[in-house]
Amino acid sequence: MPESNAPIRFTIPIGPQHPALKEPGHFQFTVDGEVVTSAYVRLGYAHRGIEKAAEQRSWIQNLYLIERICGICSHIHALAYCLAVENLAHVEAPPRAQAIRTVVAELERIHSHFLWIGVSAHEAGFETLFMYSWRDRETVMDLLEGLTGNRVNYSANLLGGVKFDIDQAQADSIRKGLDFLEERTRHYLDVISHDSTFLQRTRGIGVMTSAQAEVMGAVGPTARASNVKRDLRVEAPYAAYKAFPVQMVLDTRGDLEARFEVRLKELFESFRLIRQILDALPEGELAVRLPRRIPAGETVVRLEAPRGEVYYFVKSAGADKPERLKVRTPTICNLTSVIRLAVGHQLADVPMILAGIDPCFSCNDRMVQVRDTKNDSQKLMTWEQLRQHGIDFYRSNGK
Amino acid sequence: MNTQEIITLAEGIVQQWDWATEVSHPRPNQLDVHVKLLKELVPIVVGLRVKRLGYLCAIVGIDLGPEANEMEVLYHFCPGDVLIALRVRVPRQDGTVPSLSEVIPSAEVFERELHEMFGIEITGLRNTERLYLPESWPEGLYPLCKDFNPASLTDHAGEN
Repeated sequence: MPESNAPIRFTIPIGPQHPALKEPGHFQFTVDGEVVTSAYVRLGYAHRGIEKAAEQRSWIQNLYLIERICGICSHIHALAYCLAVENLAHVEAPPRAQAIRTVVAELERIHSHFLWIGVSAHEAGFETLFMYSWRDRETVMDLLEGLTGNRVNYSANLLGGVKFDIDQAQADSIRKGLDFLEERTRHYLDVISHDSTFLQRTRGIGVMTSAQAEVMGAVGPTARASNVKRDLRVEAPYAAYKAFPVQMVLDTRGDLEARFEVRLKELFESFRLIRQILDALPEGELAVRLPRRIPAGETVVRLEAPRGEVYYFVKSAGADKPERLKVRTPTICNLTSVIRLAVGHQLADVPMILAGIDPCFSCNDRMVQVRDTKNDSQKLMTWEQLRQHGIDFYRSNGK
Repeated sequence: MNTQEIITLAEGIVQQWDWATEVSHPRPNQLDVHVKLLKELVPIVVGLRVKRLGYLCAIVGIDLGPEANEMEVLYHFCPGDVLIALRVRVPRQDGTVPSLSEVIPSAEVFERELHEMFGIEITGLRNTERLYLPESWPEGLYPLCKDFNPASLTDHAGEN
Protein backbone atom coordinates (compact mmCIF):
# COMPACT_ATOMS: atom_id res chain seq x y z
CA MET A 1 0.00 0.00 0.00
CA PRO A 2 1.32 3.43 -0.83
CA GLU A 3 1.71 5.75 2.11
CA SER A 4 0.09 8.83 0.62
CA ASN A 5 -3.21 9.18 -1.15
CA ALA A 6 -1.59 10.78 -4.18
CA PRO A 7 -2.49 9.03 -7.45
CA ILE A 8 0.05 6.42 -8.46
CA ARG A 9 1.09 5.89 -12.06
CA PHE A 10 1.46 2.34 -13.22
CA THR A 11 3.05 1.12 -16.39
CA ILE A 12 1.36 -1.91 -17.89
CA PRO A 13 3.16 -3.75 -20.65
CA ILE A 14 1.06 -6.08 -22.79
CA GLY A 15 2.64 -8.48 -25.21
CA PRO A 16 4.77 -9.24 -27.19
CA GLN A 17 2.95 -12.24 -28.69
CA HIS A 18 0.47 -10.94 -31.20
CA PRO A 19 -0.32 -13.36 -33.95
CA ALA A 20 -2.41 -11.34 -36.38
CA LEU A 21 0.16 -8.86 -37.58
CA LYS A 22 3.05 -9.28 -39.91
CA GLU A 23 4.78 -8.83 -36.57
CA PRO A 24 3.63 -9.44 -32.99
CA GLY A 25 3.32 -6.39 -30.80
CA HIS A 26 4.18 -5.31 -27.34
CA PHE A 27 2.04 -2.63 -25.75
CA GLN A 28 2.83 -0.63 -22.70
CA PHE A 29 0.20 1.50 -21.04
CA THR A 30 0.82 3.95 -18.24
CA VAL A 31 -2.19 4.42 -16.01
CA ASP A 32 -3.14 7.00 -13.44
CA GLY A 33 -5.51 5.12 -11.19
CA GLU A 34 -7.78 3.50 -13.77
CA VAL A 35 -7.17 5.97 -16.59
CA VAL A 36 -4.62 5.39 -19.33
CA THR A 37 -2.23 8.35 -19.59
CA SER A 38 0.18 7.15 -22.24
CA ALA A 39 0.54 4.26 -24.63
CA TYR A 40 3.54 2.77 -26.36
CA VAL A 41 3.99 0.07 -28.97
CA ARG A 42 6.99 -2.09 -29.89
CA LEU A 43 6.79 -4.50 -32.81
CA GLY A 44 9.10 -6.98 -34.46
CA TYR A 45 8.91 -10.04 -32.23
CA ALA A 46 8.26 -12.24 -35.22
CA HIS A 47 9.81 -10.12 -37.94
CA ARG A 48 10.75 -12.82 -40.40
CA GLY A 49 12.53 -10.67 -42.94
CA ILE A 50 10.13 -11.60 -45.71
CA GLU A 51 10.90 -8.49 -47.77
CA LYS A 52 14.58 -9.45 -47.79
CA ALA A 53 13.80 -13.12 -48.39
CA ALA A 54 11.64 -12.20 -51.39
CA GLU A 55 14.62 -10.55 -53.08
CA GLN A 56 16.41 -13.89 -53.00
CA ARG A 57 13.64 -16.06 -54.40
CA SER A 58 12.20 -16.48 -57.86
CA TRP A 59 8.89 -14.89 -58.85
CA ILE A 60 7.12 -18.26 -58.49
CA GLN A 61 8.73 -19.24 -55.18
CA ASN A 62 7.67 -15.90 -53.76
CA LEU A 63 4.01 -16.68 -54.35
CA TYR A 64 4.25 -19.43 -51.72
CA LEU A 65 6.31 -17.28 -49.37
CA ILE A 66 3.94 -14.31 -49.62
CA GLU A 67 0.85 -16.41 -48.98
CA ARG A 68 2.37 -17.24 -45.59
CA ILE A 69 2.66 -13.63 -44.40
CA CYS A 70 -0.71 -13.96 -42.69
CA GLY A 71 -2.61 -17.05 -41.63
CA ILE A 72 -5.99 -15.32 -41.70
CA CYS A 73 -5.91 -13.24 -44.86
CA SER A 74 -3.45 -15.38 -46.79
CA HIS A 75 -5.45 -15.13 -50.01
CA ILE A 76 -5.43 -11.34 -50.17
CA HIS A 77 -1.62 -11.28 -49.85
CA ALA A 78 -1.17 -13.86 -52.59
CA LEU A 79 -3.69 -11.99 -54.74
CA ALA A 80 -1.92 -8.65 -54.24
CA TYR A 81 1.38 -10.22 -55.21
CA CYS A 82 -0.11 -11.92 -58.29
CA LEU A 83 -1.81 -8.71 -59.45
CA ALA A 84 1.48 -6.82 -59.02
CA VAL A 85 3.48 -9.36 -61.03
CA GLU A 86 0.76 -9.50 -63.70
CA ASN A 87 0.83 -5.69 -63.89
CA LEU A 88 4.58 -5.71 -64.44
CA ALA A 89 4.30 -8.42 -67.09
CA HIS A 90 1.41 -6.53 -68.81
CA VAL A 91 -0.78 -9.60 -68.50
CA GLU A 92 -4.30 -9.81 -67.19
CA ALA A 93 -5.79 -12.94 -65.67
CA PRO A 94 -8.92 -14.19 -67.53
CA PRO A 95 -12.34 -12.96 -66.27
CA ARG A 96 -13.28 -16.37 -64.86
CA ALA A 97 -10.07 -16.45 -62.82
CA GLN A 98 -10.75 -12.90 -61.55
CA ALA A 99 -14.26 -13.92 -60.51
CA ILE A 100 -13.00 -17.00 -58.65
CA ARG A 101 -10.33 -14.90 -56.93
CA THR A 102 -13.05 -12.53 -55.79
CA VAL A 103 -15.24 -15.36 -54.47
CA VAL A 104 -12.32 -16.69 -52.39
CA ALA A 105 -11.50 -13.16 -51.18
CA GLU A 106 -15.07 -12.63 -49.98
CA LEU A 107 -15.23 -16.08 -48.33
CA GLU A 108 -11.99 -15.10 -46.59
CA ARG A 109 -13.60 -11.86 -45.41
CA ILE A 110 -16.54 -13.83 -43.98
CA HIS A 111 -14.23 -16.21 -42.11
CA SER A 112 -12.11 -13.33 -40.85
CA HIS A 113 -15.05 -11.25 -39.60
CA PHE A 114 -16.60 -14.29 -37.87
CA LEU A 115 -13.25 -14.98 -36.24
CA TRP A 116 -13.11 -11.39 -35.10
CA ILE A 117 -16.59 -11.24 -33.65
CA GLY A 118 -15.73 -14.31 -31.58
CA VAL A 119 -12.47 -12.81 -30.35
CA SER A 120 -14.07 -9.50 -29.40
CA ALA A 121 -16.95 -11.24 -27.65
CA HIS A 122 -14.39 -13.22 -25.66
CA GLU A 123 -12.53 -10.05 -24.68
CA ALA A 124 -15.81 -8.60 -23.45
CA GLY A 125 -16.54 -11.76 -21.44
CA PHE A 126 -19.43 -12.77 -23.70
CA GLU A 127 -18.40 -16.41 -24.06
CA THR A 128 -21.70 -17.61 -25.54
CA LEU A 129 -21.34 -15.28 -28.51
CA PHE A 130 -17.72 -16.38 -28.87
CA MET A 131 -18.64 -20.09 -28.97
CA TYR A 132 -21.58 -19.68 -31.35
CA SER A 133 -19.78 -17.43 -33.80
CA TRP A 134 -16.79 -19.77 -33.98
CA ARG A 135 -19.10 -22.75 -34.46
CA ASP A 136 -20.71 -20.91 -37.38
CA ARG A 137 -17.33 -19.96 -38.75
CA GLU A 138 -16.66 -23.66 -39.35
CA THR A 139 -19.25 -23.47 -42.13
CA VAL A 140 -17.20 -21.02 -44.15
CA MET A 141 -13.97 -22.88 -43.34
CA ASP A 142 -15.55 -26.02 -44.76
CA LEU A 143 -16.62 -24.12 -47.88
CA LEU A 144 -13.05 -22.87 -48.37
CA GLU A 145 -11.68 -26.36 -47.84
CA GLY A 146 -14.17 -27.84 -50.26
CA LEU A 147 -13.21 -25.25 -52.85
CA THR A 148 -9.43 -25.16 -52.49
CA GLY A 149 -8.50 -28.23 -50.44
CA ASN A 150 -7.15 -26.08 -47.60
CA ARG A 151 -8.63 -24.47 -44.52
CA VAL A 152 -5.90 -21.84 -44.37
CA ASN A 153 -3.30 -20.81 -46.98
CA TYR A 154 -5.79 -21.78 -49.69
CA SER A 155 -3.20 -21.45 -52.42
CA ALA A 156 -5.88 -20.48 -54.90
CA ASN A 157 -3.70 -18.20 -57.03
CA LEU A 158 -1.25 -18.77 -59.82
CA LEU A 159 0.76 -16.05 -61.48
CA GLY A 160 -1.71 -15.34 -64.28
CA GLY A 161 -4.83 -16.96 -62.86
CA VAL A 162 -6.20 -19.52 -60.43
CA LYS A 163 -5.57 -23.22 -59.84
CA PHE A 164 -9.12 -24.55 -59.70
CA ASP A 165 -12.58 -24.08 -61.13
CA ILE A 166 -15.92 -23.86 -59.34
CA ASP A 167 -18.38 -26.51 -60.55
CA GLN A 168 -22.13 -26.65 -60.10
CA ALA A 169 -22.02 -28.88 -57.02
CA GLN A 170 -19.52 -26.58 -55.30
CA ALA A 171 -21.54 -23.51 -56.19
CA ASP A 172 -24.62 -25.15 -54.66
CA SER A 173 -22.85 -26.03 -51.43
CA ILE A 174 -21.53 -22.46 -51.18
CA ARG A 175 -25.07 -21.08 -51.67
CA LYS A 176 -26.38 -23.41 -48.98
CA GLY A 177 -23.61 -22.40 -46.56
CA LEU A 178 -24.23 -18.72 -47.26
CA ASP A 179 -27.95 -19.05 -46.48
CA PHE A 180 -27.09 -20.42 -43.04
CA LEU A 181 -24.39 -17.79 -42.40
CA GLU A 182 -26.67 -14.96 -43.48
CA GLU A 183 -29.33 -16.02 -41.03
CA ARG A 184 -26.73 -16.23 -38.25
CA THR A 185 -25.26 -12.83 -39.14
CA ARG A 186 -28.73 -11.28 -38.87
CA HIS A 187 -28.98 -12.79 -35.38
CA TYR A 188 -25.54 -11.49 -34.34
CA LEU A 189 -26.34 -8.02 -35.63
CA ASP A 190 -29.43 -8.09 -33.43
CA VAL A 191 -27.37 -9.25 -30.43
CA ILE A 192 -24.58 -6.67 -30.71
CA SER A 193 -27.01 -3.80 -31.22
CA HIS A 194 -29.52 -4.76 -28.50
CA ASP A 195 -27.76 -6.71 -25.73
CA SER A 196 -27.41 -4.15 -22.96
CA THR A 197 -24.45 -5.85 -21.22
CA PHE A 198 -22.55 -5.94 -24.46
CA LEU A 199 -23.47 -2.38 -25.43
CA GLN A 200 -22.02 -1.22 -22.13
CA ARG A 201 -18.62 -2.36 -23.44
CA THR A 202 -18.99 -0.90 -26.93
CA ARG A 203 -21.31 2.11 -27.04
CA GLY A 204 -19.40 5.39 -26.84
CA ILE A 205 -16.11 3.57 -26.18
CA GLY A 206 -12.97 4.29 -28.22
CA VAL A 207 -14.64 7.03 -30.27
CA MET A 208 -12.58 8.11 -33.26
CA THR A 209 -13.93 11.09 -35.17
CA SER A 210 -13.86 11.21 -38.93
CA ALA A 211 -11.09 13.82 -38.87
CA GLN A 212 -8.99 11.79 -36.45
CA ALA A 213 -9.36 8.64 -38.53
CA GLU A 214 -8.31 10.53 -41.62
CA VAL A 215 -5.27 12.23 -40.06
CA MET A 216 -4.07 9.10 -38.30
CA GLY A 217 -4.44 7.05 -41.46
CA ALA A 218 -6.96 4.47 -40.24
CA VAL A 219 -8.10 1.97 -42.89
CA GLY A 220 -10.76 -0.66 -43.49
CA PRO A 221 -13.78 -1.18 -41.23
CA THR A 222 -12.06 0.88 -38.50
CA ALA A 223 -12.02 3.91 -40.82
CA ARG A 224 -15.48 3.24 -42.27
CA ALA A 225 -16.99 3.09 -38.78
CA SER A 226 -15.77 6.70 -38.45
CA ASN A 227 -17.40 7.66 -41.74
CA VAL A 228 -14.18 7.77 -43.75
CA LYS A 229 -14.92 6.57 -47.26
CA ARG A 230 -12.05 4.13 -47.68
CA ASP A 231 -12.86 0.85 -49.39
CA LEU A 232 -10.67 -0.09 -52.32
CA ARG A 233 -13.30 -2.43 -53.71
CA VAL A 234 -15.28 0.74 -54.40
CA GLU A 235 -12.56 3.39 -54.80
CA ALA A 236 -10.22 1.44 -57.07
CA PRO A 237 -11.97 -1.83 -58.06
CA TYR A 238 -9.65 -4.76 -58.81
CA ALA A 239 -10.19 -8.41 -59.80
CA ALA A 240 -13.95 -8.83 -60.43
CA TYR A 241 -15.17 -5.87 -58.34
CA LYS A 242 -15.49 -3.74 -61.45
CA ALA A 243 -17.96 -6.16 -63.03
CA PHE A 244 -19.60 -6.96 -59.69
CA PRO A 245 -19.62 -3.74 -57.63
CA VAL A 246 -20.12 -3.62 -53.85
CA GLN A 247 -21.74 -1.01 -51.65
CA MET A 248 -19.54 0.72 -49.09
CA VAL A 249 -20.84 0.30 -45.53
CA LEU A 250 -20.35 3.44 -43.45
CA ASP A 251 -21.22 4.58 -39.96
CA THR A 252 -20.94 8.04 -38.45
CA ARG A 253 -20.61 7.14 -34.77
CA GLY A 254 -16.94 6.07 -34.72
CA ASP A 255 -17.20 4.03 -31.50
CA LEU A 256 -16.71 0.32 -30.91
CA GLU A 257 -20.38 -0.37 -31.53
CA ALA A 258 -20.05 1.19 -34.98
CA ARG A 259 -17.01 -0.98 -35.71
CA PHE A 260 -19.08 -4.05 -34.84
CA GLU A 261 -22.00 -2.97 -36.98
CA VAL A 262 -19.90 -2.05 -39.98
CA ARG A 263 -18.18 -5.43 -40.03
CA LEU A 264 -21.43 -7.36 -39.69
CA LYS A 265 -23.26 -5.26 -42.28
CA GLU A 266 -20.35 -5.77 -44.65
CA LEU A 267 -20.98 -9.49 -44.45
CA PHE A 268 -24.39 -9.05 -46.11
CA GLU A 269 -22.62 -7.41 -49.04
CA SER A 270 -20.21 -10.34 -49.17
CA PHE A 271 -23.08 -12.88 -49.21
CA ARG A 272 -24.87 -10.95 -51.93
CA LEU A 273 -21.72 -10.55 -54.02
CA ILE A 274 -20.70 -14.22 -53.86
CA ARG A 275 -24.20 -15.31 -54.93
CA GLN A 276 -24.20 -12.80 -57.75
CA ILE A 277 -20.82 -13.98 -59.03
CA LEU A 278 -21.78 -17.65 -58.78
CA ASP A 279 -24.93 -16.94 -60.80
CA ALA A 280 -22.97 -15.19 -63.53
CA LEU A 281 -19.56 -16.80 -63.49
CA PRO A 282 -17.85 -15.74 -66.75
CA GLU A 283 -16.90 -18.59 -69.06
CA GLY A 284 -13.34 -19.11 -70.20
CA GLU A 285 -9.80 -20.01 -69.26
CA LEU A 286 -8.52 -20.19 -65.69
CA ALA A 287 -5.00 -18.92 -66.30
CA VAL A 288 -2.63 -17.37 -68.78
CA ARG A 289 1.08 -18.01 -69.05
CA LEU A 290 3.61 -15.60 -67.61
CA PRO A 291 7.26 -15.31 -68.64
CA ARG A 292 9.87 -16.55 -66.16
CA ARG A 293 11.61 -13.18 -66.24
CA ILE A 294 9.37 -10.25 -65.46
CA PRO A 295 10.01 -7.01 -67.42
CA ALA A 296 11.67 -4.17 -65.51
CA GLY A 297 9.32 -1.72 -63.85
CA GLU A 298 7.58 -0.68 -60.67
CA THR A 299 4.03 -1.19 -59.57
CA VAL A 300 1.78 -0.53 -56.59
CA VAL A 301 -1.21 -2.73 -55.80
CA ARG A 302 -3.72 -1.84 -53.10
CA LEU A 303 -6.44 -4.27 -52.09
CA GLU A 304 -9.17 -4.32 -49.48
CA ALA A 305 -8.25 -7.05 -47.01
CA PRO A 306 -10.75 -7.93 -44.24
CA ARG A 307 -8.91 -5.51 -41.91
CA GLY A 308 -8.45 -2.76 -44.45
CA GLU A 309 -6.07 -1.68 -47.14
CA VAL A 310 -3.12 -3.92 -47.90
CA TYR A 311 -0.43 -2.26 -49.97
CA TYR A 312 2.19 -3.93 -52.17
CA PHE A 313 5.05 -2.27 -53.97
CA VAL A 314 7.00 -4.47 -56.37
CA LYS A 315 10.02 -3.43 -58.40
CA SER A 316 11.49 -5.64 -61.08
CA ALA A 317 14.88 -5.16 -62.70
CA GLY A 318 13.99 -7.62 -65.48
CA ALA A 319 15.44 -10.61 -63.66
CA ASP A 320 13.91 -13.87 -62.44
CA LYS A 321 13.64 -12.37 -58.93
CA PRO A 322 12.09 -9.16 -57.63
CA GLU A 323 14.45 -6.26 -57.02
CA ARG A 324 12.36 -4.95 -54.13
CA LEU A 325 9.09 -5.99 -52.54
CA LYS A 326 7.40 -3.90 -49.91
CA VAL A 327 4.33 -4.92 -47.94
CA ARG A 328 2.28 -2.63 -45.75
CA THR A 329 -0.48 -4.37 -43.86
CA PRO A 330 -3.63 -2.63 -42.59
CA THR A 331 -2.94 -3.35 -38.93
CA ILE A 332 0.08 -1.06 -38.73
CA CYS A 333 -2.14 1.85 -39.83
CA ASN A 334 -4.93 1.00 -37.42
CA LEU A 335 -2.60 0.19 -34.56
CA THR A 336 -0.95 3.59 -34.55
CA SER A 337 -4.35 5.27 -34.58
CA VAL A 338 -5.88 3.09 -31.91
CA ILE A 339 -2.88 3.43 -29.60
CA ARG A 340 -3.53 7.18 -29.46
CA LEU A 341 -7.20 6.47 -28.86
CA ALA A 342 -6.50 4.47 -25.69
CA VAL A 343 -5.21 7.56 -23.85
CA GLY A 344 -7.91 8.92 -21.57
CA HIS A 345 -9.83 5.64 -21.45
CA GLN A 346 -10.31 3.23 -18.55
CA LEU A 347 -7.73 0.47 -18.39
CA ALA A 348 -10.71 -1.88 -18.43
CA ASP A 349 -11.53 -0.70 -21.95
CA VAL A 350 -8.07 -1.43 -23.36
CA PRO A 351 -8.72 -5.06 -24.34
CA MET A 352 -11.85 -4.07 -26.28
CA ILE A 353 -10.25 -1.05 -27.92
CA LEU A 354 -7.35 -3.15 -29.15
CA ALA A 355 -9.61 -5.97 -30.25
CA GLY A 356 -11.83 -3.41 -31.99
CA ILE A 357 -9.37 -2.97 -34.86
CA ASP A 358 -9.25 -6.75 -35.31
CA PRO A 359 -5.60 -7.43 -34.62
CA CYS A 360 -6.59 -11.01 -33.59
CA PHE A 361 -5.78 -11.20 -29.91
CA SER A 362 -7.09 -14.67 -29.28
CA CYS A 363 -4.23 -17.06 -29.73
CA ASN A 364 -1.81 -16.20 -26.99
CA ASP A 365 -1.81 -15.77 -23.29
CA ARG A 366 -0.01 -12.49 -22.89
CA MET A 367 2.06 -11.42 -19.94
CA VAL A 368 0.96 -8.11 -18.53
CA GLN A 369 3.33 -6.29 -16.28
CA VAL A 370 1.95 -3.78 -13.80
CA ARG A 371 4.68 -1.49 -12.62
CA ASP A 372 4.38 0.97 -9.78
CA THR A 373 6.78 3.60 -11.01
CA LYS A 374 6.80 5.50 -7.74
CA ASN A 375 7.96 2.64 -5.56
CA ASP A 376 9.76 0.96 -8.45
CA SER A 377 8.07 -2.32 -7.61
CA GLN A 378 6.67 -4.70 -10.20
CA LYS A 379 3.60 -6.84 -10.31
CA LEU A 380 2.90 -9.36 -13.03
CA MET A 381 -0.49 -9.86 -14.60
CA THR A 382 -1.40 -12.02 -17.55
CA TRP A 383 -3.45 -10.81 -20.49
CA GLU A 384 -6.16 -13.10 -19.14
CA GLN A 385 -6.12 -11.20 -15.84
CA LEU A 386 -6.37 -7.86 -17.63
CA ARG A 387 -9.30 -9.17 -19.65
CA GLN A 388 -10.91 -10.36 -16.42
CA HIS A 389 -10.22 -6.96 -14.88
CA GLY A 390 -12.23 -5.37 -17.68
CA ILE A 391 -15.11 -7.79 -17.20
CA ASP A 392 -15.14 -7.39 -13.39
CA PHE A 393 -14.85 -3.63 -13.66
CA TYR A 394 -17.99 -3.44 -15.75
CA ARG A 395 -19.75 -6.03 -13.64
CA SER A 396 -19.31 -3.92 -10.48
CA ASN A 397 -19.54 -0.48 -12.04
CA GLY A 398 -22.09 -1.16 -14.74
CA LYS A 399 -25.62 0.06 -14.77
CA MET B 1 -13.31 14.08 -57.11
CA ASN B 2 -12.60 11.67 -59.92
CA THR B 3 -9.19 10.36 -60.94
CA GLN B 4 -8.52 13.10 -63.48
CA GLU B 5 -9.53 15.90 -61.14
CA ILE B 6 -7.23 14.57 -58.40
CA ILE B 7 -4.31 14.30 -60.83
CA THR B 8 -4.92 17.84 -62.11
CA LEU B 9 -5.17 19.22 -58.59
CA ALA B 10 -1.99 17.43 -57.48
CA GLU B 11 -0.14 18.62 -60.54
CA GLY B 12 -1.21 22.18 -59.86
CA ILE B 13 0.17 21.95 -56.33
CA VAL B 14 3.47 20.44 -57.40
CA GLN B 15 3.89 23.04 -60.16
CA GLN B 16 4.45 25.68 -57.51
CA TRP B 17 7.77 23.91 -56.89
CA ASP B 18 8.71 23.50 -60.55
CA TRP B 19 12.28 24.62 -59.83
CA ALA B 20 12.70 21.77 -57.35
CA THR B 21 10.77 18.97 -59.00
CA GLU B 22 10.47 16.89 -62.14
CA VAL B 23 7.05 15.45 -62.94
CA SER B 24 6.13 12.41 -65.06
CA HIS B 25 3.03 10.25 -65.71
CA PRO B 26 3.98 6.57 -65.82
CA ARG B 27 0.29 5.52 -65.77
CA PRO B 28 -2.98 7.43 -66.25
CA ASN B 29 -3.68 7.34 -62.51
CA GLN B 30 -0.11 7.92 -61.37
CA LEU B 31 1.89 11.09 -60.85
CA ASP B 32 5.62 10.69 -60.25
CA VAL B 33 7.35 13.68 -58.69
CA HIS B 34 11.14 13.66 -58.38
CA VAL B 35 11.94 16.06 -55.57
CA LYS B 36 15.45 17.31 -56.32
CA LEU B 37 15.77 19.66 -53.36
CA LEU B 38 15.25 17.71 -50.14
CA LYS B 39 14.30 20.77 -48.10
CA GLU B 40 11.24 21.24 -50.32
CA LEU B 41 9.85 17.79 -49.46
CA VAL B 42 7.93 18.82 -46.33
CA PRO B 43 6.43 21.98 -47.90
CA ILE B 44 5.18 19.91 -50.86
CA VAL B 45 3.64 17.39 -48.46
CA VAL B 46 1.95 20.25 -46.59
CA GLY B 47 0.60 21.44 -49.94
CA LEU B 48 -0.89 18.01 -50.68
CA ARG B 49 -2.22 17.66 -47.15
CA VAL B 50 -4.01 21.01 -47.24
CA LYS B 51 -5.89 19.92 -50.37
CA ARG B 52 -6.83 16.60 -48.72
CA LEU B 53 -4.48 14.58 -50.89
CA GLY B 54 -2.33 13.64 -47.92
CA TYR B 55 -3.31 10.03 -47.31
CA LEU B 56 0.16 8.52 -46.92
CA CYS B 57 -0.03 4.87 -47.92
CA ALA B 58 3.57 3.88 -47.38
CA ILE B 59 7.18 4.99 -47.42
CA VAL B 60 9.38 2.66 -49.46
CA GLY B 61 13.16 2.60 -49.30
CA ILE B 62 15.11 1.14 -52.21
CA ASP B 63 18.84 0.51 -52.14
CA LEU B 64 20.05 1.17 -55.67
CA GLY B 65 23.25 -0.74 -54.93
CA PRO B 66 26.93 0.09 -54.35
CA GLU B 67 27.44 0.99 -58.00
CA ALA B 68 24.84 3.74 -58.10
CA ASN B 69 25.87 4.56 -54.52
CA GLU B 70 22.43 6.01 -53.87
CA MET B 71 19.23 5.09 -52.14
CA GLU B 72 15.78 6.07 -53.25
CA VAL B 73 12.91 6.89 -50.92
CA LEU B 74 9.36 6.80 -52.27
CA TYR B 75 6.49 8.52 -50.47
CA HIS B 76 3.27 7.07 -51.79
CA PHE B 77 0.16 9.19 -51.36
CA CYS B 78 -3.03 7.47 -52.44
CA PRO B 79 -6.16 9.64 -52.61
CA GLY B 80 -8.90 7.50 -54.18
CA ASP B 81 -7.41 5.34 -56.91
CA VAL B 82 -4.61 7.82 -57.66
CA LEU B 83 -0.97 7.25 -56.80
CA ILE B 84 1.15 10.32 -56.13
CA ALA B 85 4.75 9.21 -55.73
CA LEU B 86 7.21 11.70 -54.29
CA ARG B 87 10.68 10.35 -55.01
CA VAL B 88 13.91 11.51 -53.41
CA ARG B 89 17.49 10.27 -53.80
CA VAL B 90 20.01 10.23 -50.97
CA PRO B 91 23.62 9.02 -50.79
CA ARG B 92 24.09 5.46 -49.53
CA GLN B 93 26.34 6.63 -46.73
CA ASP B 94 24.84 9.05 -44.20
CA GLY B 95 21.73 9.71 -46.27
CA THR B 96 19.25 11.98 -44.51
CA VAL B 97 15.63 12.84 -45.16
CA PRO B 98 13.35 15.21 -43.24
CA SER B 99 10.56 13.68 -41.14
CA LEU B 100 6.94 14.08 -42.26
CA SER B 101 5.58 13.13 -38.84
CA GLU B 102 4.81 16.75 -37.87
CA VAL B 103 2.47 17.01 -40.85
CA ILE B 104 1.28 13.40 -41.00
CA PRO B 105 1.40 11.59 -37.64
CA SER B 106 1.09 8.14 -39.22
CA ALA B 107 4.43 8.71 -41.01
CA GLU B 108 6.30 8.02 -37.79
CA VAL B 109 6.17 4.21 -37.94
CA PHE B 110 7.10 4.18 -41.63
CA GLU B 111 10.08 6.44 -40.96
CA ARG B 112 11.30 4.37 -38.04
CA GLU B 113 11.16 1.32 -40.30
CA LEU B 114 13.02 3.18 -43.05
CA HIS B 115 15.79 4.11 -40.64
CA GLU B 116 16.13 0.60 -39.21
CA MET B 117 16.16 -1.17 -42.53
CA PHE B 118 18.30 1.22 -44.59
CA GLY B 119 20.23 3.37 -42.12
CA ILE B 120 18.77 6.57 -43.54
CA GLU B 121 18.70 9.30 -40.89
CA ILE B 122 15.36 11.03 -40.34
CA THR B 123 15.73 14.58 -39.08
CA GLY B 124 12.99 15.79 -36.77
CA LEU B 125 11.71 12.34 -35.85
CA ARG B 126 10.90 12.41 -32.15
CA ASN B 127 10.80 8.69 -31.46
CA THR B 128 13.88 7.00 -32.92
CA GLU B 129 13.60 3.77 -30.94
CA ARG B 130 13.69 0.47 -32.76
CA LEU B 131 10.32 -0.70 -33.99
CA TYR B 132 10.99 -4.06 -35.65
CA LEU B 133 14.62 -5.14 -35.10
CA PRO B 134 15.62 -6.82 -31.83
CA GLU B 135 17.63 -4.91 -29.22
CA SER B 136 20.55 -7.26 -29.77
CA TRP B 137 20.75 -6.40 -33.48
CA PRO B 138 24.23 -4.97 -34.21
CA GLU B 139 24.44 -1.19 -34.60
CA GLY B 140 25.08 0.02 -38.11
CA LEU B 141 23.84 -3.16 -39.82
CA TYR B 142 20.91 -2.46 -42.12
CA PRO B 143 19.12 -5.57 -43.36
CA LEU B 144 17.49 -4.25 -46.53
CA CYS B 145 20.74 -2.86 -47.94
CA LYS B 146 21.77 -4.83 -50.99
CA ASP B 147 25.18 -5.71 -49.55
CA PHE B 148 23.74 -7.19 -46.35
CA ASN B 149 23.97 -10.97 -46.39
CA PRO B 150 21.45 -12.70 -44.10
CA ALA B 151 23.86 -15.63 -43.69
CA SER B 152 26.15 -13.35 -41.67
CA LEU B 153 23.38 -12.97 -39.12
CA THR B 154 24.08 -16.24 -37.26
CA ASP B 155 27.33 -14.75 -35.90
CA HIS B 156 25.53 -11.81 -34.33
CA ALA B 157 21.93 -12.12 -33.36
CA GLY B 158 21.11 -15.79 -33.76
CA GLU B 159 19.63 -16.15 -30.29
CA ASN B 160 17.01 -13.53 -30.87
